[in-house]
Amino acid sequence: MRVFTRVTHTILFLVLTVAWPHAYAAQKPAANPDAQVLQDFKARVDKYVELRNKADNDAPPMKKTDDSVALRSAQQGLAERIGAARTPAKQGDIFTPEITARFRKLLRPEVNEPGTKATIKDDNPGAIPFKVNGPYPSKEPLSTVPPNVLASLPPLPKDIEYRFVSKHLILRDARANLIIDYIPNALS
Amino acid sequence: MHSRSHTRFVIALALLVGAVGAPAAQDVSLPNQPDSLKFAIIGDSGTGSSSQYKVAEQLIAARAKFPYEFVLMMGDNLYSGNGPKDYQKKFEEPYKALLDSGLKFYAALGNHDNTDERNYKPFNMGGQRYYTFKPKNGVRVFALDSNYMDQPQLQWLEKELTASGSDWKIAFFHHPLYSSGGTHGSDFQLRAQLEPMFLKHGVDAVFSGHEHFYERIKPQKGIYYFTSGGAAKLRDGDVKKTDLTAKSFDAGYHFMLIEITKDTMYFQAISDQGKVVDSGALTRFSDQEKKKLATPSS
Repeated sequence: MRVFTRVTHTILFLVLTVAWPHAYAAQKPAANPDAQVLQDFKARVDKYVELRNKADNDAPPMKKTDDSVALRSAQQGLAERIGAARTPAKQGDIFTPEITARFRKLLRPEVNEPGTKATIKDDNPGAIPFKVNGPYPSKEPLSTVPPNVLASLPPLPKDIEYRFVSKHLILRDARANLIIDYIPNALS
Repeated sequence: MHSRSHTRFVIALALLVGAVGAPAAQDVSLPNQPDSLKFAIIGDSGTGSSSQYKVAEQLIAARAKFPYEFVLMMGDNLYSGNGPKDYQKKFEEPYKALLDSGLKFYAALGNHDNTDERNYKPFNMGGQRYYTFKPKNGVRVFALDSNYMDQPQLQWLEKELTASGSDWKIAFFHHPLYSSGGTHGSDFQLRAQLEPMFLKHGVDAVFSGHEHFYERIKPQKGIYYFTSGGAAKLRDGDVKKTDLTAKSFDAGYHFMLIEITKDTMYFQAISDQGKVVDSGALTRFSDQEKKKLATPSS
């Protein structure tokens, strides 16, 4: 009888040990949707960086030089290789509607901080024509992105940056001087 | 007779051309000590305009009297494009005499600069948006990219300031933390990020541009601040003097000369007319004084 009780307890313990985590998992709510959206953003940016790295490897490395002609042609060459590899690229490839909505939510409290809008406006090039997969207009200034805004947005890999053009938030490849994607009227 | 008057005429003409062509006389009155660190500052210089060339002439002339070892550029090094012609017209030509002599320029990026300028060798940025160098024992200089003060840059600065054992810590970047400019004014967001770090690690002096005038700010919590963004651009009358202003000049273009020896920093701001618009000697605050000044009074 004692032996029977011990066996019963052991079986019960084993059943609980194996079954409990599954039962718990089934009840656990789905992962944070906001986190999933930001994870998706990261994956899309990483994919772009992978593509850029490949485009970068297809040419001699960009070196420090006093030859301004070489500097310009290296940057343009990289932009052309990326542009060709991404064709057809369009607005929303990275900033999907879900990611855009999340970014707007992140930006809202920051741009309402005193002085933030003024800083963004200060160096903003204003309403200039630009397009995805095209160069950032070389004669135009780059908007300063206030540190509090940068701290609120997801971090980016090296040489990928957020900038503002008028009220639009753009994602810019600083190495290729290329506009990767943008959120229209992100500051509205 | 005819020949003599002709010679006189030629000499007079040569003197006249010399007087017009040469930059106006300067009153460079820094100590010019043999073992000191000497450097110059230009800000918002890259327009390619006659004003830039005029200031460049003054800068070149100053070196004959005051042999500065390098030039710090406060950003907006190339306005309206960074094609080969821009580098030529807005940097290589105006400063040719200095570049030919082997003088080094160290640039910070402004909002009108393409990030790619970091790869342009004569800007000595080492391919980076932000960097540091030690021009002399006891002095360390930090160049920052104030257009894009992201977390990696802030972490880098914290690490570099912690590691710096130098007596003099000098930072330079485009946007001024303190300014009485009517057009831009102080950058409060940037100040919120940088000032605590500067205070924690005992930064002594900060130089910026962006505002197209000269302003020396009264010491803030033991740090000296200068705005020098008028080496080619000018916002005439833009200084709205506040309690911050120690001295300002917004009626002409300018550049600066700096000399550091032991605990003293001597400075002069010189206009495109060769006129000294500000000068003085500032003593570095001791660590103890800085700590006291950094702590808000209860």
